[in-house]
Amino acid sequence: MNRSTLLRGLGLAVLLAVAVATPFLLDPRGYAIRVVCLALLFAAMAQCWNIVAGLANQVSLGHAAFFGIGAYTSTLLLIHFGLSPWLGMLVGAVLGGIAAFLISLPTMRLKGHYFALATLAFGEVMRVIANSWSGLTGGPVGISVPFAPPSFAMMQFKETRPYYWLMLAALVVVTLVFVAIRRSKLGYRLRAIKENADAAEVIGVDTTRTKITAAVISGMLTACLGTLYAQFQFFFDPDTVFGVASISVRMAMIAIVGGIGTAAGPILGAFFVIPLEEFANDLFSSRAAGLSQLVFGVLLIGVILIEPRGFMALGSRIRRLFGKGGRP
Amino acid sequence: MSQPLLQVSDISKRFGGLRALSGVSLTVAAGEIVGLIGPNGAGKTTLFSTLVGLHRPDSGAIRLNGKDLVGLKPHRIAAAGMVKTFQNVALFLDFSVLDNVLTGGLLHLSVTEARDLARRCLEQVGIAGIADKLARDLSFPERARVEVARALCTQPKVLLLDEAMAALNHVEMDAFIALLRQLRGEGLTLVIVEHHMRAIMSLCDRIVVLNFGQLIATGTPAEVSRDPAVIQAYLGSSAA
Ligand SMILES: Nc1ncnc2c1ncn2[C@@H]1O[C@H](COP(=O)(O)OP(=O)(O)OP(=O)(O)O)[C@@H](O)[C@H]1O
Ligand SMILES: [Mg+2]
Repeated sequence: MNRSTLLRGLGLAVLLAVAVATPFLLDPRGYAIRVVCLALLFAAMAQCWNIVAGLANQVSLGHAAFFGIGAYTSTLLLIHFGLSPWLGMLVGAVLGGIAAFLISLPTMRLKGHYFALATLAFGEVMRVIANSWSGLTGGPVGISVPFAPPSFAMMQFKETRPYYWLMLAALVVVTLVFVAIRRSKLGYRLRAIKENADAAEVIGVDTTRTKITAAVISGMLTACLGTLYAQFQFFFDPDTVFGVASISVRMAMIAIVGGIGTAAGPILGAFFVIPLEEFANDLFSSRAAGLSQLVFGVLLIGVILIEPRGFMALGSRIRRLFGKGGRP
Repeated sequence: MSQPLLQVSDISKRFGGLRALSGVSLTVAAGEIVGLIGPNGAGKTTLFSTLVGLHRPDSGAIRLNGKDLVGLKPHRIAAAGMVKTFQNVALFLDFSVLDNVLTGGLLHLSVTEARDLARRCLEQVGIAGIADKLARDLSFPERARVEVARALCTQPKVLLLDEAMAALNHVEMDAFIALLRQLRGEGLTLVIVEHHMRAIMSLCDRIVVLNFGQLIATGTPAEVSRDPAVIQAYLGSSAA
């Protein structure tokens, strides 16, 4: 191990320690810790999205489908069978994976906007189904997670702190998965497809299978995060968990703003976008409901115009400015 | 001679009204170096693309070791042992040189094994010194050699090279010719498209000539260069 990897490992360890200790600095019943929880969760979600979009450049705008499947699966299993959300999460992951497989079959050959639109439509179909199949989902009025005595086994806690650690653990796991994939055969193949699909095929990359594998992993992990969201919020409806703006576009936006295809990008993006959004809501919503969205949108467009590859690229640009070279 | 390694029988390919290949048949024996020549637009690249599965022929058969390849996707054909390089050079531009080559090795190997093989392939092609450079920062001749190394790293039986020497100077070309001879010595079978007659003449056991999608001659370099149909084809166009 050389010095720079050692320093990097040390830096990451310190960062993680700070992250673990952060809840002790925040009011456990306050608003800030909930915002940080959401930022962690959305960072993890954007990281899931990053697996397919970041590595293979298949920009999905339908990831809410998997998220909502996860949220509804564990919640319904809890309501009807008293099943622990941990197990419900696994069932949701399987269903999310199946959904990702099924949607991949017809869409995998599509590129760019066509892929984005097809996945967007898929997410919308799921939202419409959830809204109209009231017998199962409770329909547009939404659904509540039944209260249980707080315990780890039931993924329910009295305070916000345990949720924070849960979200942090999820983010760490998903990020490790992303990094492991990027270094693996799958990661090389995904990136090769992004670079030149024909050349990748000719030297032996099964492009269809590679993309589907990544999509299934991404869909499964996203569904798991849907369960965490449900347990954290206690109440949700189809328009929230299957929403285009609330979930799908936000996941994409966060990863893009932070730096698509990088491990740190979604994290930077989430800790920029989510607090900013909350702040904008706070500032404007009492006076003009739509205004916060507008301000928020304008800011995001600004960021993307300045550096379309996100904060990560901005960082390496600055580093190069100081003569230290960019990312290898 | 037993069954040929590669057997192309009567393949045709149309692009709309254009007959890019009409009834092309040829065989390549194991360990042979075959040159594929012909004026611009003759169908050489189309033939290569069809062989590796990027185009599906309208009719005809392609057999590698007796196995029918028509209809297989390119990655299956690569797994069967036939890969090509691209005339316009198709590297993964945001990959390092090493990662480009390594990706070829993943066809049969783990990442670690592929990395080791990739280093050997780079050495073999004479570009070990640029392993850590980004592909997009390379000159065109360097890129072409990286692509050859990447193809080699898939451990092919048959390698199809589409003008891989196009941008080389004389010294580089001599080194490249020596490399191809050495690879053949190691059991590789080569089909090469080249406009450099010197390279073709000195390297190839046999030459196949295409013109307007049809095979017009086949034979040793000496035979082909005397063939009236070939002379006519080249004089009739401004190529070469
Ligand atoms: N994808 C395609 N769609 C339509 N026409 C094509 C396509 N590919 C090739 N052609 C046409 O087929 C003919 C053969 O082209 P090809 O590229 O195979 O020739 P070539 O022998 O490789 O020529 P060169 O020496 O210039 O590389 C040309 O007329 C070309 O314009
Ligand atoms: Mg050509």
